[in-house]
Amino acid sequence: MVTKKSLFSWVLERCRGLQSALFIMILFTVFFRVFPLEMQKRIVNIAIQSRNLNALFTYCGLYITAVVMAGVLKYIINVLQGYIGQKILYEMRDQLYAHILSLPLSFFRRTPPGMVISSLTSELSGPGDFLGSALAVPVINLLTLITFAGYMVYLNPLLAVLSFAIYPVEILIIPVLQKRYNRLNQDRINVTRSMSNAIGEAITGMHEIHGNASYPIENKKLDAFGSMLFRLRHRMNKNKFLVKFINNFFQSLGPFILFLVGGYLSIKGRLDLGALVAFLSAYEKLYDPWKELMDYYQDFQDSRVRYYQVMSYFDYAPEFQLKPEEQREPYQLQGKIEITDLDYVVDNDIRILDQISLDLQPGEQLAVVGFSGSGKSTLAMVIGQLYSYSRGHVLMDGMELKTLTKLDVSHNLGYVAQHPFIFDDTIMENIIYACKSLQLNQLLEEESLPDRAQILRVVDEVGLSDDILRFGLNTLLDINAHGVFAEKLINVREQFQSRWRTELAEQVEFFDVEKFLNYTNVAENITFGHPNRETWELEQLPTNKIFRQFLEETSLTSELSDLGVEMATQTVSLLEDLKDDQFFFEMSPIPRSEFDLYSTIVERIGKVGRDQLSRKELDAILKLALRYIPANHKMATLPKALEFKIIEARHEFFQKISDHAPGAFTFYQPSEYFYTHTIMENILFGHPKADHPRAMEKVQTRMVELLREQSLLDEVMEAGLAFQVGSMGDRLSGGQKQKIALARLFLKKPHILILDEATASLDNRSQARVQDLLRTEMKGKSTLIAVVHRLELVKDYDQIIVMKAGKIVEAGQYEELLLRKGLFYELAHGE
Amino acid sequence: MNSPMENNEECVLSERVGRCELDANLDVLRKIPVFSGIPLQRLKLYAYLCKRVCYRAGEFIFHQGDSDDRGYIMLSGSAQIVREYEDHSVFLNELREGEFFGGVALLSDIQRLFSIRATTRVECLTLDRESFRKLLVQFPEVGVKILDLMIKRIVLMEEKLMQKHVHECVYG
Repeated sequence: MVTKKSLFSWVLERCRGLQSALFIMILFTVFFRVFPLEMQKRIVNIAIQSRNLNALFTYCGLYITAVVMAGVLKYIINVLQGYIGQKILYEMRDQLYAHILSLPLSFFRRTPPGMVISSLTSELSGPGDFLGSALAVPVINLLTLITFAGYMVYLNPLLAVLSFAIYPVEILIIPVLQKRYNRLNQDRINVTRSMSNAIGEAITGMHEIHGNASYPIENKKLDAFGSMLFRLRHRMNKNKFLVKFINNFFQSLGPFILFLVGGYLSIKGRLDLGALVAFLSAYEKLYDPWKELMDYYQDFQDSRVRYYQVMSYFDYAPEFQLKPEEQREPYQLQGKIEITDLDYVVDNDIRILDQISLDLQPGEQLAVVGFSGSGKSTLAMVIGQLYSYSRGHVLMDGMELKTLTKLDVSHNLGYVAQHPFIFDDTIMENIIYACKSLQLNQLLEEESLPDRAQILRVVDEVGLSDDILRFGLNTLLDINAHGVFAEKLINVREQFQSRWRTELAEQVEFFDVEKFLNYTNVAENITFGHPNRETWELEQLPTNKIFRQFLEETSLTSELSDLGVEMATQTVSLLEDLKDDQFFFEMSPIPRSEFDLYSTIVERIGKVGRDQLSRKELDAILKLALRYIPANHKMATLPKALEFKIIEARHEFFQKISDHAPGAFTFYQPSEYFYTHTIMENILFGHPKADHPRAMEKVQTRMVELLREQSLLDEVMEAGLAFQVGSMGDRLSGGQKQKIALARLFLKKPHILILDEATASLDNRSQARVQDLLRTEMKGKSTLIAVVHRLELVKDYDQIIVMKAGKIVEAGQYEELLLRKGLFYELAHGE
Repeated sequence: MNSPMENNEECVLSERVGRCELDANLDVLRKIPVFSGIPLQRLKLYAYLCKRVCYRAGEFIFHQGDSDDRGYIMLSGSAQIVREYEDHSVFLNELREGEFFGGVALLSDIQRLFSIRATTRVECLTLDRESFRKLLVQFPEVGVKILDLMIKRIVLMEEKLMQKHVHECVYG
């Protein structure tokens, strides 16, 4: 198991080839480090003393080569170390994560997610960095140290022994300090964990905090950890720098001894001055490797503590084997379930399940009912192999459930929880999740992933079609991926127009290049298209040179300014007392944030007249006119003559854009697909009228009718399946999530189904639909165990068990149980 | 809300030539007794928050039992007030151009006591409860005037009822 591995086993087992390459390079580096010393000596002794220029050049050349080689090798060694470290970290994370995923559910109930996250990310990265240098650093520095020491002995044995004498003392003192540091470090990791748990908890329960304004309570909780962390860190720093101080102190003792003894010997004439100087410089060279060794030691201790702390936290065995040990296909179960005297006990004495016994033949359907807290869900989870049981037997096709591997079970069993989990992906991916898992576990062949028709059938069975269709109609197509489909949709648009244009005239204002649009703004009326670039968006138009030039050419500027001034004056006078309430600004062309700006402009117009306005102010006025939507903004009106003028201008604008900024707009032409708009908007080719509240319902019905006729509905549905559900599916309703989970299950079609109130969030119609499906399609094919809350749903089940306090108190069929007038009767009538 | 009767007549808001909707709404409101006493500057805000809605002949403007939240002023066309019973409906009254109806819904979240059904193409000016209340809070002095008139209308109705069914009209 990965949590049992020692820190060094990672180094010794991984990247062996690279590590031996590293080792060889280290040997060379050591050589290149010592070699310059020898060259130094020869340059002085041989080249300079014998005034030999050739020798000087040779030795200098060799010297510089060795220095450069040492540098280059050091670079390569660093890169290699980093590579090895990260590679090991990568594997370590993968293996640990795989292990964590296999841990029992009970582990995760007491482990906050923040804890797992910080362990896998920040806590492990320290050891990872360390492991890269775990072998190289000590080897390189020890070798260097020994080599220099040897060189010193070779220069003067007595002085060498004297200057080495301090190291043993240091080696005795430092580990003591380091031990204290390690203890502190352990505490720090624990406090950091508690702190991230506190933060995680606060974020999960944010609504409760906001609801109670309990900010001080939460702040206090975090503050407790914060101050603890502060003190620990401070003590750790003191310790760390004390080690550094002691190390430096002993280091400087060296020269002190050398000066004292060497000086004495020199005065007495037993040592010549030159030798003393050479010795001192050699001693200086000892410092670097020693310091690196010290750093290494501290790093090593730190990583060791972190590593074992992380590993010990996750050091639990999975409850079930993941895969069969021997090579065999997973079992194909028929779905026979026998349970005898099943107990599930937590905390040693709380019995959640108490002597449960029942028998189910393949294809039989069992309903589990009872009050909340009676152990219904636990029973479902035990049978689904989500919890392990303490005593008793659960036999599936005669095999003990405990001994089956996860793969055996997941191959044959499907489980839907009351609040199923939806992953942050498309609806499609969420629906085929179970099938994909089977495929990745090599139980299904590549080609047998369900196709679109199968998926859509299941989607329909669980009543998700309408939702998917709506998502589909609201999809933006991608110009690169959906060109052909878009072409077909243009065809649908034509049909839609020719068939429904008159009938839907009440609900929709269709695009018509010869007609003024009342349900959109003046800017869109002029451009008659959708901007593809930011500089052509409405808010930017007043400062867009080409656009302004165009307004001049078509002599629209002054009339639009009139409109703008009228709107500004009216709106400001209307709303000036109501600035504090956003509500009154919903129908206003001036948003609340810009009110003061326009208020000033109106005031200036009153005082100095329009002609004196600055360019910026005129732009603001123009912007207001461009925002004018006739159907929404009651404070002004557009003269008919101006409407005609705007319609006239459209053609010229089209020409202008084609000449000066091709591609800046997608124009509302019947033959053009607008990739910036949804499928629905594209087919509609117009704007829904806002004063018809249910306008879109009718429009959508007609549209679906037409798409079905053209057999394009499946493609729209496919686009809907690509809807991104958001993190934890938060763009979906509770019912939609359950439907997706059910679709996931029905697509997999296992022989054993476990539904834990899996239809509780569905509307009555969908619930009945699913129930119907279970009664007809699944009956006899899959064994069903359903925890049910609404008793009218259990009529058709082969067996019903009523649970209370972990025990089965009644069992039988619907009528039979009602006649008995026991707990079931009570439940049925208490509702 | 809509009961689509087959009818080819288009239900599109009529066009106003040359005047802005705000002024047109203002003119309508000034003719309604409940609103006519409000100073022009404040009445403009009511005109600003009103919406125009159009109904086809035969379409229900609201149903008995609905919790609809609007008050209506008939701009054009005519409609019937109908009280529905389980097995039959009773035609109570006819609404004509310029009448203000359904105003109680502006005061409180009530259920409609009767249905109203357009007999011709109908265009209405409507105000919803939220807008009405927001203005009431902003300008209480105006609000009091409106409340005064609306409550008088209700009392008048009550008086009529009392005369007919005095025994049943005891609060309890």
